[in-house]
Amino acid sequence: MPTELARLRNFCIIAHIDHGKSTLADRLLDLTHAVSERNMRAQYLDKMDLERERGITIKAQAVRLAHTADGVDYVLNLIDTPGHVDFTYEVSRAMAACEGAVLLVDAAQGIEAQTLANLYLALEADLTIIPVINKIDLPAAQPERVAREIEQVVGIPAEDMLRVSAKTGEGVPALLEAIVRRVPPPTGDPDGPTRALIFDSLYDSYRGVIAYVRMVDGSVRKGDRVRMVAAAGVSEAEEVGVFAPEAVATQELASGEVGYLIPGLKNVAQAKVGDTVTIAGQPSVEPLPGYREPRPMVYAGLYPIEGDDFPDLRDALDRLRLNDAALIYEPETSLALGFGFRCGFLGLLHMEIVRERLEREFDLELITTAPNVAYRVTVSTGGTVTVSNPSELPDPGAIERIEEPYVDAMILSPSDHIGAVMELCQSRRGTLQTMEYLSEERVELRYQLPLAEIIFDFFDQLKSRTRGYASLDYEPSGYRAADLVKVDVLLQGEPIDAFSAIVHKDKAYAYGRAMATKLKKLIPRQLYEVPIQATIGSRVIARETITPRRKDVLAKCYGGDVTRKRKLLERQKEGKKRMKQIGRVEVPQEAFVAALRTDDGDAGR
Amino acid sequence: MSSTLVPVAAGPLVDRSLFGVYLHVPFCRTRCHYCDFVTYTGMEALRRPYAAALAAEAELAVAALGDAGRPTVTSVFVGGGTPTLLPPADLARVLQRLRGLLDHAPAVEVTVEANPETVDRALADGLVAAGVTRVSLGAQSFDDRVLAALGRPHDAERVGLAVATLRAAAAAAGRPLDLNLDLIFGCPGEDAASWERSLEAAVAIGPEHLSAYALTIEPATKFGRMVAAGRMAEPDEDVLADRYERACAVLAGAGYAHYEVSNWARGRRAADGFPAHASLHNRTYWRRGAYLGLGAGAHEFVPEGDGFGPRRWNVPGVPEYLAAVRAGRRPTLGQEALDGEQARFEALALRLRTLDGLDGEEAGALGVDATGPAATELRSAGLLAPGPTLRLTERGMFLHGEVVSRLAP
Repeated sequence: MPTELARLRNFCIIAHIDHGKSTLADRLLDLTHAVSERNMRAQYLDKMDLERERGITIKAQAVRLAHTADGVDYVLNLIDTPGHVDFTYEVSRAMAACEGAVLLVDAAQGIEAQTLANLYLALEADLTIIPVINKIDLPAAQPERVAREIEQVVGIPAEDMLRVSAKTGEGVPALLEAIVRRVPPPTGDPDGPTRALIFDSLYDSYRGVIAYVRMVDGSVRKGDRVRMVAAAGVSEAEEVGVFAPEAVATQELASGEVGYLIPGLKNVAQAKVGDTVTIAGQPSVEPLPGYREPRPMVYAGLYPIEGDDFPDLRDALDRLRLNDAALIYEPETSLALGFGFRCGFLGLLHMEIVRERLEREFDLELITTAPNVAYRVTVSTGGTVTVSNPSELPDPGAIERIEEPYVDAMILSPSDHIGAVMELCQSRRGTLQTMEYLSEERVELRYQLPLAEIIFDFFDQLKSRTRGYASLDYEPSGYRAADLVKVDVLLQGEPIDAFSAIVHKDKAYAYGRAMATKLKKLIPRQLYEVPIQATIGSRVIARETITPRRKDVLAKCYGGDVTRKRKLLERQKEGKKRMKQIGRVEVPQEAFVAALRTDDGDAGR
Repeated sequence: MSSTLVPVAAGPLVDRSLFGVYLHVPFCRTRCHYCDFVTYTGMEALRRPYAAALAAEAELAVAALGDAGRPTVTSVFVGGGTPTLLPPADLARVLQRLRGLLDHAPAVEVTVEANPETVDRALADGLVAAGVTRVSLGAQSFDDRVLAALGRPHDAERVGLAVATLRAAAAAAGRPLDLNLDLIFGCPGEDAASWERSLEAAVAIGPEHLSAYALTIEPATKFGRMVAAGRMAEPDEDVLADRYERACAVLAGAGYAHYEVSNWARGRRAADGFPAHASLHNRTYWRRGAYLGLGAGAHEFVPEGDGFGPRRWNVPGVPEYLAAVRAGRRPTLGQEALDGEQARFEALALRLRTLDGLDGEEAGALGVDATGPAATELRSAGLLAPGPTLRLTERGMFLHGEVVSRLAP
């Protein structure tokens, strides 16, 4: 029985990772009796994720809560939003499914950059904001200060902000009331041609693709032939339902409601986030606004350590892609590393997640090249080419212009550390846009920076210069020309393509120096002398030499030594198996991994 | 007296023409700073009972040979510790008991390790009378400063005196006696000049045999603790290479054949290239010949029919050792069974240590292609001698481990 629009409230919770979203969700589940006391446990919704991995239940992206106020039964849909900068697009689509947002801020920590970024997204989406200051039970809580900060940003008077403790439950009933009173009901045409927004989708090995949908107009029933507008596919709706919080199949989903649709598809690329679901055969409709193809920001080469594992890596990526429409990849070959893939990710976190899953779930040992951005190169023969693998940069003679992606970065920092933050941004070719005091103690800085300068250790540096207190968020802001050069690294005269990098010309020497020094330390001595060179074109900008190894162990080997010696030699032999051969040079895979790591401060970028 | 025995293997896994007996004497007056051997200071009261126990264990060991039959002993080695802390008569008794239990080859090599400061005429006479044919002296260095840094209980001059005494005793008894000097390089307080002097002094003394080892820092030693505490630096790789290079040059110039990674000897070369005064007992290790291990912490290798293993070793503690033997039990602490792959790997590693190496067929039996790409690359790098045999060049001796790990299947 569909709920009429007037009694629906769709909202999300915007919160920084430690600010209490899960606990608040628990309290809401409690208060609305969504989960029986017997089954209730801490971080209920988060833990459903684990069960999902065991194939028992489906991740609840949107939880349906029942709340009665003034004798009227309301249905409150709590929609989950990812918190990380890599997934801004997904966040924006989840917000498009809502009319309201609970802005949850820790009373001791205050606003963080990601929260602020998501808050701006919510404001752009015209959501009604209900600011809630959490953890008021803590001694370190400073609700007044935090309220003032929020007031500055949102323009809501501090007195209108709710104060709660998700832990104790204090203030939470008032929050439920506020949601009902302040968040407007959804609008839409229940009788019009069906339109639904996909705000998330995933692939479940038991059920196939599951699309999380917010119904806008019309309805969807089990058995309907549904059509995805952008993905251009038609299939049969196997099931529709809601999460209460476990998945509960229903007859139909109607205008204003939030739930799930199982469209009988095998690949999440067929049910893209932001896409519009319609019913085949119905009059064609305007797709819902805001749809965008996923856009990778960061690239890296992924190579199996054992060349034989290449097919396994390919299969693993194919399987991951089923569930990750944003992951793109293409086979590529490296003289140094063999056969692998150039992969595009939404950001560093996305890359980390993918890498970890490949290693953990598919048991692959991988070498990942340093992450890089895609450059737009205008060649002198006319036309532009996109370079996402640094070693593919055309010869300098053929290049007219190189453009690199820029971002608008927002940094929140304690005011004591402004100097250090500004210095860091300047050292990364940043230009200051604005600086605004949110309060006496907290500043919001906006910088424009090349993305390439962010994807290494910028975040770590930012944290360490502000003793952990600063936070960062950024979004793409187009391409700009820059004075960029390609630095190559040669071992015994042979270029190792995996180490080529495109850097700003002012940083080229430092990068070349750092790579040569690092490799000299990491590559063990060989039977021959090994010169290491960093070059720009044919010009050598840094040089180191690894002297040949002169001796092994020169100890005695009598009866009692044999076993120990044998084990030592066995290990030495095992070590050889883990070597990559670059020309005559044996490079342990650990050296490759270490040389390509980006989290050491002396990368010189 | 050197052994004129030419070992004969039936396949490279085991040399059944050799059978050694190793006896361990775990007593020292002081512990040197680099030493992680099984040895104890003090325990004076246990020394004589220990000697008796060695003889008793010998009986148990021979009885345990059972089906392996009654091999002929080709070498006996008494190591330690400081074996010469035992009264020579006690040592003689043990050796005598052994002769009673097993036939000995007429030219059996009998080696005893000795510390220079324990050698006096009485001891030397006693050793010769007991049938000892080789004495191995721990000289280590002829630089007194280095000897002090090593914690050795003697000075440089003492070595020459000990040698003279031993030579005199042997001459008086009309018996041949081979002498070996041990040297260690890469020591604290040593520089190039110091090592050069040690080499020259050793050569001047004219032993039949010389062993030279790079100082290795073991964790449970005084040096190990000093390095861990940052009070001593590990020897530098290139310095060690320099020292070894000088040893090769000086000893070659003095007519010693570099017949094993750490061992040099004089004498006429046999058909396989080995110098007459090479150590037969140690060669038994490198050819995977069988040997009994008697005494606390001693290792033993009596391979079964397939030639793989096992390897056994005794408890290191003297009281447990004594108790076990008294109770009529072999004092075994542990044992390692080896499979074919491990045995072949051992054989490859051990056989490549000596100048004769492996012939093409033997290499093949161990799964190694003596003329394959790995071997070819090593030849062009100057580490292996020209084919078809698989032998280290002198440069290859520096990099034995590297060669083995590249060749092993």
